[in-house]
Amino acid sequence: MWNWATHPISGLSFLGMVIGAVVILLLTLLVVMYSIYWQRKLIGWIQLRIGPNRVGPFGLFQTAADVLKLLIKEDVIPSKADRVLFLIAPILAFVPAFTVLAVIPMSQHHVFTANVSIGALFYLALSAITIHGVMLGGWASNNKYALIGGMRSAAQMLSYEIPLGMSVVGVVLMAGSINLNDIVIAQSRSIWYFIPQILGFIVFMIASTAELNRTPFDLPEAESELVAGYHTEYTGFRFAFFMLTEYVYLFAMAGLFATLFLGGWSGPFLPGWLWFALKVFLYISIQFWIQATMPRMRVDQLMTFSWKVLLPLALFNLVITAVLKAVV
Amino acid sequence: MFGFLKGLGVTLRELPKHKVTLQYPDVRPEWPERFRGVHRLLVDECIVCNQCARICPTDCISLSGTRGEDKKIRLDTFDINFDTCILCDLCTEVCPTEAILMSDTFEMAQYSRDNLYLDMHWLHDNELRYERNHPERFQKDAEGNEATETAGEPQ
Amino acid sequence: MALTDQQQPIRTEEMLLNVGPQHPSTHGVFRLVVKISGETVLDAEPVIGYLHRGTEKLAEDLQYNQIIPYTDRLDYLASMLNNYALCHTVEEALGLEVPERAEYLRVIVMELQRIASHLLFIGTYLLDLGAMSPFLYVFQERERIVQLFNEICGARLTYNYVRVGGVKYDAPPGWLDKVRAFIPFMYERIQMYDDLITGNEIFLRRVRGIGVFDTETALAFGMSGINLRSTGFRWDLRKNRPYSIYDRFEFDVPVGEHGDCYDRYYLHLLEMKQSLRIVEQALDGIPDGPTLGKVPKIIRVPAGEYYSGIEGARGELGFYIVSDGKDKPYRLKIRKPSFVNLQLLPDLLRGRNMADLIAILGAVDIVLGEVDA
Repeated sequence: MWNWATHPISGLSFLGMVIGAVVILLLTLLVVMYSIYWQRKLIGWIQLRIGPNRVGPFGLFQTAADVLKLLIKEDVIPSKADRVLFLIAPILAFVPAFTVLAVIPMSQHHVFTANVSIGALFYLALSAITIHGVMLGGWASNNKYALIGGMRSAAQMLSYEIPLGMSVVGVVLMAGSINLNDIVIAQSRSIWYFIPQILGFIVFMIASTAELNRTPFDLPEAESELVAGYHTEYTGFRFAFFMLTEYVYLFAMAGLFATLFLGGWSGPFLPGWLWFALKVFLYISIQFWIQATMPRMRVDQLMTFSWKVLLPLALFNLVITAVLKAVV
Repeated sequence: MFGFLKGLGVTLRELPKHKVTLQYPDVRPEWPERFRGVHRLLVDECIVCNQCARICPTDCISLSGTRGEDKKIRLDTFDINFDTCILCDLCTEVCPTEAILMSDTFEMAQYSRDNLYLDMHWLHDNELRYERNHPERFQKDAEGNEATETAGEPQ
Repeated sequence: MALTDQQQPIRTEEMLLNVGPQHPSTHGVFRLVVKISGETVLDAEPVIGYLHRGTEKLAEDLQYNQIIPYTDRLDYLASMLNNYALCHTVEEALGLEVPERAEYLRVIVMELQRIASHLLFIGTYLLDLGAMSPFLYVFQERERIVQLFNEICGARLTYNYVRVGGVKYDAPPGWLDKVRAFIPFMYERIQMYDDLITGNEIFLRRVRGIGVFDTETALAFGMSGINLRSTGFRWDLRKNRPYSIYDRFEFDVPVGEHGDCYDRYYLHLLEMKQSLRIVEQALDGIPDGPTLGKVPKIIRVPAGEYYSGIEGARGELGFYIVSDGKDKPYRLKIRKPSFVNLQLLPDLLRGRNMADLIAILGAVDIVLGEVDA
């Protein structure tokens, strides 16, 4: 399966790539649809409500109905907005979100996984591009709330990229490879890395929550302060794109989390894809649980927390890992 | 240091609890007897004393009547401009014969304000609807008096 | 030599931002024109009046009993207290005797109302700070209170229950037991909020040391209620100028230490417990008897000027009546605690950032129906 990278592109392998991309896109859309559904259900239950229940059995088609509504809505472009940037910003945000899924090993047989030798780095590098989409979207809207939201998210995602990267380096050191496939295999041979890398695990949990702009780090779209943050002026399917980006990242981050710390598809008894799905589900549910509990952090505290707490912790973890690796 | 864990515990404990959502249009709320919904009118009881129109803080009631051949005064029109009614219940409080009362009708969404002019017939129909919905509140005691109608009245 | 625009490396500008009148955190239609530099607030100017209905002017054309439904709509989260404040002033002016049972019922509904109002403060405050769940939790308890009110007076929000000389209805059968059953439930829930919110580090860092003012400032601005008590000044009209039958009950007046948003939040929790204590005692002591005293059919307040204030949910709520002896007031002035407490807001906001703006505005606890009247 992994010969695409090493052989010249032929018509057949190109077709294979296209099919792979389409299948992953559909799978992603399905996952996004039901993570939104699960979010609303779980948070609803926590808040003594019952969540969506009108569209389809148990409200299972609620998200589909919502998306349909967004698609047929008028696409409003503010007259004073920077038209070109305003139009491409959602695409700029979405494309990397979808691309990073290429390197996540979702199952044991790697049906559609690219065997990129720099997997983890690829993820981090691409996900940083999304910031541009968000920031440009906020700026191009010509709206003050959107501008503040866009700037906030740029500052936040940049600051948390670093502790996130550092916590990943610990895992990379343990596995001796940046290739995500190799990392999973290394874990399946020894132990899942969240035990030896407990510090890195905690840093990753926090930094990834901030990367995803989820509560308690949802400042870019802080509803009570900034109305809707960077997507205040967006409507219809452009807004849907931003939402899609957010949830695709949730899925991707959950995949990365499972791969790095919980041994990806590896696990006893059950097939690999199911193990992977369970771990992703766990991460996503924890995110929603936290969302239902926490208030929002303040912007300056957020920065301080990243640079003064998380980064030193991640570096400390790195040093310990390196020392242990050298000694053992 | 880890106070937020306590909070996470609280939200987790709430998760399996009984849900309080009322599936509104399917399941309807139980209103207590004193509930103040839209008025209902017992046309025959009204003596056209005009007290309700006078006490109304927003002047939304207007009524008129004529004296019939049997010297009994009869209600001709009774309109409530529900547009401005604030459901304060003062009209039912002053009514000496308890001709105007409150029902538990509350769904009054309309496309036009004109539909909110409630006339005598509407109010009377509302009374009939109320009687249909709450037969237990109109049970007569041995002497034929309506026993429970007093529950919602001021002393 | 001053640099021109082109020579300066980065040109920065202040930005004028209209927060509201339609904004998720202004709790109604309230506009705040803030001048911000980056996220720092340089200046803030509240603009009020979007919900102005001219209640005071309308009242000049209404009999005293007719004004009561209008007071429902002032501070719509604490209508019972508004009802009572007006009736209390009229009763004082007339020198009316109010039956015992009516007084007890009034105290019970007023303290329940205070709990309902404080609950909503906690919910909306946490919503402002970004936590969603407490907002939905508080509605569960508030729903029980509102249902109790619905049973006793037939309305869930605009009660029109307290009357000059008593209350409109006696409690329906079994109502007092329902209130009694509510008390332990409420204690439990207060403990839950304590667990859920008070210990949360993120919450603490958002509210500790934010929006601080001292007693002197608070008094100079005429603040009252929890805003004043949070500065450590023990002033509660229920204790300091007892009205109704509050002198019969045992309860404490909790005060804060630092005068910051945290104190204001925590006092709300503590006061709910005290209100529960009062309700408990009132339930134990409630006598039988009539619920409406001897009140003339048409109330004519003798010519003169009358004022009485009560401890509302947000501070001293007072009605000032100028009467010329007719059945309608010549002039009615309402001392609206939200309105008075709002005056200090610009001073509190200067130099803080946008996130603090929301935290401070939320903690001052205004209700726009009352501010604009």
